[in-house]
Amino acid sequence: MGKEECKTMLDALNKVTACYRHLVIALGSTSDSQNLREELKKTRKKAQELAVANRTKLTTLLKDKTISKEDRAEYERLWVLFSSSMELLEVDMKRSLEIGQDFPLKVPTRHLIQTGMTGNTNAVAARAMSVQNMKYEADSNIDTADLRDLQSEITQVSQMMEEMEMKVQVAPWAVVAKQEAGAELKSNMSVGNSSVGVISICEEEPKDDEGGGGREGGSTSIGAVLVFFVILTVALVLGYLVVNM
Amino acid sequence: MTINTLAEEGLRREQMACFRKMEKVIVAMQDPDMGMKMRNQRLLITVIPHAMTGQDIITWLIQKYHIYEEEALHLGEMLVRYGYIYPLKEPRCLVLRPDESPYRFQTPYFWTSTRWPASELDYAIYLAKKNIRKQGELMEYEKERYSLLHKRINHTWDFVVMQAREQLRASKQRRKADRIVLECQEQAYWLINRPPPGVQNMLDWGLERPNNLSARIPLNSDYYKSEIETSRRALGRNRVKSSVCLEGAPVPTRLRVERWSFSFMELLTDAMGRREFMTYLEKEFSAENLHFWQACEEIKHGESSKIVEKVEDVYKNFLAPGAARWVNIDSKTMDKTLEGIKRPHRFVLDDAQMHIYFLMKKDSYPRYLKSDLYKNMLAKAVVPQETKKSVFPFMRRQRHSSPSPAQASAQAAEEDGRAGTNSAAGSQL
Repeated sequence: MGKEECKTMLDALNKVTACYRHLVIALGSTSDSQNLREELKKTRKKAQELAVANRTKLTTLLKDKTISKEDRAEYERLWVLFSSSMELLEVDMKRSLEIGQDFPLKVPTRHLIQTGMTGNTNAVAARAMSVQNMKYEADSNIDTADLRDLQSEITQVSQMMEEMEMKVQVAPWAVVAKQEAGAELKSNMSVGNSSVGVISICEEEPKDDEGGGGREGGSTSIGAVLVFFVILTVALVLGYLVVNM
Repeated sequence: MTINTLAEEGLRREQMACFRKMEKVIVAMQDPDMGMKMRNQRLLITVIPHAMTGQDIITWLIQKYHIYEEEALHLGEMLVRYGYIYPLKEPRCLVLRPDESPYRFQTPYFWTSTRWPASELDYAIYLAKKNIRKQGELMEYEKERYSLLHKRINHTWDFVVMQAREQLRASKQRRKADRIVLECQEQAYWLINRPPPGVQNMLDWGLERPNNLSARIPLNSDYYKSEIETSRRALGRNRVKSSVCLEGAPVPTRLRVERWSFSFMELLTDAMGRREFMTYLEKEFSAENLHFWQACEEIKHGESSKIVEKVEDVYKNFLAPGAARWVNIDSKTMDKTLEGIKRPHRFVLDDAQMHIYFLMKKDSYPRYLKSDLYKNMLAKAVVPQETKKSVFPFMRRQRHSSPSPAQASAQAAEEDGRAGTNSAAGSQL
């Protein structure tokens, strides 16, 4: 069905946009490298392919006059998602051009900003491209060569967005979001674990919040310890039974 | 510090000059030989490089720019306050301590920029991410802003949630040390671009500062409906103001200009004459008389409903003591008029108007007729061509009376029509 296809493509575009932003944040810092520039290029191209595909699909769907009102409302919602994604992508592309120009790599002394980030971004790019591992095959002057491509791509994207606004009659403010406030908390993502276990050194909240946070942290760790012991006991009991059978 | 105006979206903005200079300082600090000395930051199990103490920063500034400690302290303060360097120990306290407190550089993407101001969408995504990470334990002001944004950009809220989740998933692909740095960077960026209440906004533009978030109107369909209605009304308004210039030929005929010298009333009743006289009076600094006379005429011939407010205006502008355009009326008439104004009616200003009329007639009018202005007007005036008397009566062309404006433009239109231009224009005239 058209809707499902659309949603999948939009999810893909969303994922690539998020990864692209992540990569642009690393530009100009000590995480920057020739590889990063190549990753940016590949991710960007993938984003554009997805953008064009999405746009074609959505415009065909929206032009169809025979769809029901609910369907149309849904497609308009998807359209708003699509154009927001494109907004972010366009800004990030422009910023990557600016920062890429300010921090060239093929110079005798690089002046990359020492931000504390030293790892590489391979995994992020691999996620964007939906591959297991990234292959790097570009020349060593990609940082300058790519910038020219980037400029023309930015123009293309801006033109596409203008066309979109002109040709498609969707009132963005009329769209009602499906998610209500705080919807992100209901996800089954275990993102909390990324911060638990790390002493959050940059999260110095004032005193009243700290008490609450401390209590919650304490109860979580006690719970974890209890679960560990329960599992250990169960394992021991089963092992004993197995041995004795 | 030069203040740049925040242009509308889409227009090219420039980076403020002070930011470009600070960026140069930061880049100079990265020099492998002459740059800052970096230390490692030790957390429980992780070691993150590229930290520096406040004292390091000040020492480097003193050595590089050959300045005194006071100035270095001030310069360092600015770097911290504008987000190029952020503190690691107390992230909400954006000051430079000249001691062992650790600091770190901010990544170029998060540098303060007038070219790329922080958008609402980005802030919403950041708050959503923080919400997920902290399981809903946002600070009070963050919760408020979150709900405000939810109302304001509700139409794109699904995108906010989707993007927040994806960005977190993307950052999970990095190693732990980088993830920590990323979180600190983002937090520092938003502390500057969306400071907590009570903290001075470093990007305050003074008079051009954007409105308080809570006072903003929600961008929903009602708002847009009212905007559309206002625009439609504005478009429908008739913008053609028929002015005196539209009537007749710009160059008057001699006869017309001569008529002005017949009597003062002739001059005043002819619009062009009145204008010329006004120009003359302005040179003599007695134009208020004519203005007053005109205002009285308007009251006499105008709408009944507006009489009271027009009389009020006239009093304020011309009769009140110390008025901007005070007219010189004799005391008896003035008293009578002021009494009458308490119960305004159509002819309450008649006496005053008459007084001013005779004043102008006796004083300014004769001088005008003798003035260069009038004489030039006479000289410029057009004498319409006398028709030639033909020898043969039947060839005699009709004698045209002095061309009135309506006829003159009709003739021109006919000629145009014959020349093949738009006949509709001709028929309009």
